[in-house]
Parts: sequence; structure tokens; C-alpha cells
Amino acid sequence: MLRRRLVPYFLLGPGTIWLVLFFLVPMYFMAELALRSGTVLTGFQFSWEWSNFSDALSENNEQVVRSFYYSGVATLVALLIAYPLAYAIALRAGRWRVLLLFAVIAPFFTTYLIRTIAWKTILYDSGPIVDAFQFLQLIPDDGRLLATQWAVIAGLTYNFLPFMILPIYASIERLDLRMIEAAKDLYASSRQAFLKVTLPLTAPGIVAGVLLTFIPAFGDYVNPLVLGGTNQSMIGNRIQVLYLNEGNYPEAAALSFLMMALILALVVVYIRFAGTEAFMGEEVEET
Amino acid sequence: MTDARTGRTRTLAIALAALVAALVIAACGDSDTVGGGSDEDVQTAKGGKASGSVTISNWPGYIDPGKNGTVNEFEEKTGISLEYIEDVNDNNQFFGKMKPLLDQGQSGGRSMFVVTDWMAKQMHDLGYLQDIDYADVPTVEKNISDIARESVADPGRKFTIPWQSGLTGLWVDTKKAPGIRSINDLFDPKYKGKVTFLLEMRDTVPMVMMADGVDPETASKQDWLDAIDKINKATDSGQVRRWTGNEYTEDLTAGNAVASIGWSGDASLIGNPNAEWRKPTEGCTIFTDSMVIPVGAPNSPAALEWADFAYQPEVAADLAAYITYFTPVDGAKEVLQKSDPASANNPLIFPSEKFLEGCVAQPEPPGGPEDVQEVTDAFADATTG
Repeated sequence: MLRRRLVPYFLLGPGTIWLVLFFLVPMYFMAELALRSGTVLTGFQFSWEWSNFSDALSENNEQVVRSFYYSGVATLVALLIAYPLAYAIALRAGRWRVLLLFAVIAPFFTTYLIRTIAWKTILYDSGPIVDAFQFLQLIPDDGRLLATQWAVIAGLTYNFLPFMILPIYASIERLDLRMIEAAKDLYASSRQAFLKVTLPLTAPGIVAGVLLTFIPAFGDYVNPLVLGGTNQSMIGNRIQVLYLNEGNYPEAAALSFLMMALILALVVVYIRFAGTEAFMGEEVEET
Repeated sequence: MTDARTGRTRTLAIALAALVAALVIAACGDSDTVGGGSDEDVQTAKGGKASGSVTISNWPGYIDPGKNGTVNEFEEKTGISLEYIEDVNDNNQFFGKMKPLLDQGQSGGRSMFVVTDWMAKQMHDLGYLQDIDYADVPTVEKNISDIARESVADPGRKFTIPWQSGLTGLWVDTKKAPGIRSINDLFDPKYKGKVTFLLEMRDTVPMVMMADGVDPETASKQDWLDAIDKINKATDSGQVRRWTGNEYTEDLTAGNAVASIGWSGDASLIGNPNAEWRKPTEGCTIFTDSMVIPVGAPNSPAALEWADFAYQPEVAADLAAYITYFTPVDGAKEVLQKSDPASANNPLIFPSEKFLEGCVAQPEPPGGPEDVQEVTDAFADATTG
């Protein structure tokens, strides 16, 4: 009897230890660092310095807004690309399915940094892509793609696209096609069947994909660093500059903390709004 | 339902109480300091017989690579296995990366690294560096040039051995922007989004001040802040394309930039035949990057052996001809005059006094640590738009 009661705790053990060691302990040190004051040369003393938090927010609001904007647009574009693509791979690709899925995952065999730097080589100012854009008058004759917000957003979209495709693919692949047939039997148009049957049933994939894309894109600092210019820095870059260049560890910690809290709050609201069912999959009704 | 909710609230309350308690304990406990360096006495790096393996960090483009390069030559002659890594791209960022290790008295396996003199002083003040006894490096003692021995940051060279010196000035793509000769030209709207600046504050800010007619050696804090304000405006308006370390060489190579504030010896990193280093009409700044031995450095005798090896005139001549910075080694010019007269007459390797006219040693912002911090913060803010 006793053993039976203890089993769940044993099973929880590894996860709990992991969370305590790699989440709670670092969080504690970060919170403690965020409340210190001083300079990098004289050292930082603990002093309940709450102003670090207000400074972190007031001095960096431009980057906070920009991070929301860039990662929001990137997530939206990724969704618009990923859904039709996942749909086609799951339901229309036939024997090409494995190959296409492999093509989605293949970029992961190269490191993230190298892939981003490769874009720099592709988009350089006198390169063919920029020439084509200029010829089509999409950018002015002396315009450029690198060191603009479009390069950063495109980089974010490109880098996190597979995280959007894979969960959506998984949910579309599980779709019971008889449901769509049934909808059509009941005189639903294709559009109605999609909106009332396909979309709700694949919502868990969309919710998961949006979270997996938005959260890392929001905190990304590689894309603005490599593809952006002087006015494209995001919150991750600010934290890097605060920590490495200014040596202002407390404000960097405070800013990291605030961003984490902000993201957490957003995710909670989003999941509430999207419904836990959509997030966790359909719950089994208990009778 | 109600029970579950109360339970959850209680758990949350306990968690919060625990966090507050932990913070209070941290606040009341003996006030340990994060950072601020160590209070231990500075030690002198151990010299003597060298063997084994050694790891040395340096900036990119600061060595002649390949089979006949200096690293291979050193390994063959001494039997020491040298891991030479190029992971210093920016003094501040390297400092930020190393600081947590150095605070613990460790160097991440590095026996030696190369930083600019002002950074060496900052690290030494914090107790992160060991002193160097020049008796352990007889070839350095014998061949170091008078100019290289002088240093504002380390008078008498007690903890640094100069690796190379150089000038900060303009790299210009002569085909696309032949007219750029002064730092002020970089602010010309004609070149909007086509110029890059250096993240190294002590390089960029004095250059901008000089272009505005301010003498950087006597400049006040306000002069520094004014120059930073000018830089900030140019950054916000998109005039400056990027703030870089060594990566400016990539932008010049790819044609993304037509002119950059850059270092005199970087020709080997720039794959653009039209790129030319120019001394700005208003002058330039001179910097010295030096070898230092961090606390916790393993096998410091082998690191000192490397420094000593590099100070042989023949070795220094090869290095200088390849990397095209000023060599601190006397006798290298004579060697090159026989083997490579073009390099021996290159003013970027062996500058004449006339060539250096109007150039000043890299200045420090004036005032105490708080003033320097204020200027540093303003600059860091200006460089991230």
C-alpha cells in the first residue's frame, strides 16, 4: 500500500530534480542578481535594488516593442506558409511524403548560426537577389535587403519554420478524413468543411506551432546580429550588450526576468484563449 | 473544486514565502560580492623550462597560418604542442566572457591571451592577471623596441608583452567612395547605410572627436559624451550600417560597406582589391595589443616560451610581413630588407615619424571609474539602436 503511494513520487523524481536544478536554482540566482547594485569593477552588492527592474523596462521599451513586432510577424508568416505545406505533405504528397518531410528537417543538420550567416552571403548588397528586387522595383535602386527589418523577420521566419510545420503536420496527419466526408454529406461547402471541421481538429497543432515559433523568436539575438543593422536590435541583443559590453549584470538579469514573466503571462492568456483542450488535445470525458 | 483551489493557492503562497525567505537570507548573510575581482596578491607567472601543451587566445588575422606558419615552426623547434585559437573579437565581450571564470581564478584552459593595453590594465587592476618577469623571456628583453616598451597602461611593462601595434583609421573602397578621407565624410548622407563603425569605444570616439577638432588627449567627459551623441544620431538615422568588431572586413569584402573605421593591418582579412587603408586627414589613434598571462593559467612556462619565440627578428619579420601591423621587435626590419624589401618599406609595418604625425596613443575617457562607466554606458546605448 505504502509502496503504491510512493510510486508516483518516484516517477516524478527525475523531472522534479531537473526542474529544481536547471530552472528554480538558476531563477533564484538571477532574481538575486537582479536586486544587486554596483559596477563591474567594484563588484555588485545585494541591496534590494528594485529600480533595476524599472530601468530595464524604461530604457529598453523600444527593443521590447520591436521584439513583439518582429516575432509576431515572423510567427504569422510562418503559420501562413506552414499550414498549406503541412496539409499538402500530410494529405496530398503520396509517396513523396517522407522525402518532403526530410526536406523540412534537413536544414537542422547544419547549425543554426551557419545557416543564418549563409543568408548574409545570399543577400549581400550587390548580389543577384538584391539586383532582382531592384529590377522588380520592390526596393529602390540603391536599396538593400541586409541590415533591414525585413532581413531580420525573414531570418526569424526561416529559422523557426520547421517548428511550425512539424506540429501542424502531426495534427493534420491524425485527421479522420471521414469527418470531412460526413460534413460534405451534410451539404457543407469545402470552405465550410475546412472552417468547421478541419481547422478545429488541427487547432492543437497550430497552438503548439505558434508557441514553439513565437517564444524562441522573441528571445532570438542571432538574426538581428547577423542580418540586422543598427536599428534592428531585439531584446536578446540588449541583454547581451548590457551583460557583455556595459557589464551591468543586475539590469541584464532584471530584463531577462521581466521578459520571462511577460512571455509566461502571454502564453497563459493565449492558452486560456485558445482553450486547454486545443493545447492538450481532447480531454476524455469522465462519467 | 474549492479544496483543490485552496491547495493550489497554499502551494503558491509557500513557494513565494520560500523565495522571499531565501532573498532575505541572502541579504542578511555575509554580503558576498559578485564580481569586483579578487583581493589576493598578484603573482608572478612561473617561467623556466617549457614543455607539454599550451593554449593561447588571440584576435583573428594576427598570425601567419599554414604549414610554414609561425605556430608550426614553434611546435617543431620547441616540441611544445600549441593550441592557437582566435576567439578575441572585442575587448569588452572577451572580458565579459572570461570574467566569471577569472573570478574563480580560472582561465578556461588558456595559458595566455592577447588584449589591448587598456583592457590588460583593467584586468590587472581586478587581479585577473599574473605579473611577468622579463628575465624569463630573454629574447623579448633583448629585442623589444623602445616605442613598444613605453606604455601608459602598464609603465615598465610589468604584466604585458606587446604582440603588435597598429593604427585605427579608415578602410575605404577606392572605387565606390574615392572621396572619403576624413572621419567626417562618413557622416555624409551620400554614404547613408554604407559605412560601419567599430564597437571599440577607445577607437571610434577619439576619431570622431578629432574630426570635430577636439584633442582627444585633453578632451573632457563632456567632449566624449558630445561625440557619442553625434554617433548616436548617425546610428538612429541609419547612416551607420553596422557596429562591428573584426566583421567589418566581411562587409568591405562583400561590398556592403564602402568605408569603415578599421585597423591598419587587416588587409589579409579583406578580400577586396580596391580596399585601401587611409590615415584620416585629422589624424589617427595608435593601439597596442599585448600578451598577458591570466590567473589560473596552466603551463605558463610554455606560454612565455611562445612570447620569447615570437621576439626573434626572423620570426617577427615573417609575422610582420604577413599580418602587416607594427612589429614591436627590433631587427625585424633589417631581416626584411634582405628578404622582402616591399614589406620593409611598408609604412603600415614600419611607420616613419612623418607617417605617424597627428596620431595619438589610444586615449582613456577622463575621470574616475564612475565617469568611465558613464561614458561606456552612453556608448553602448548609442551603438544599439
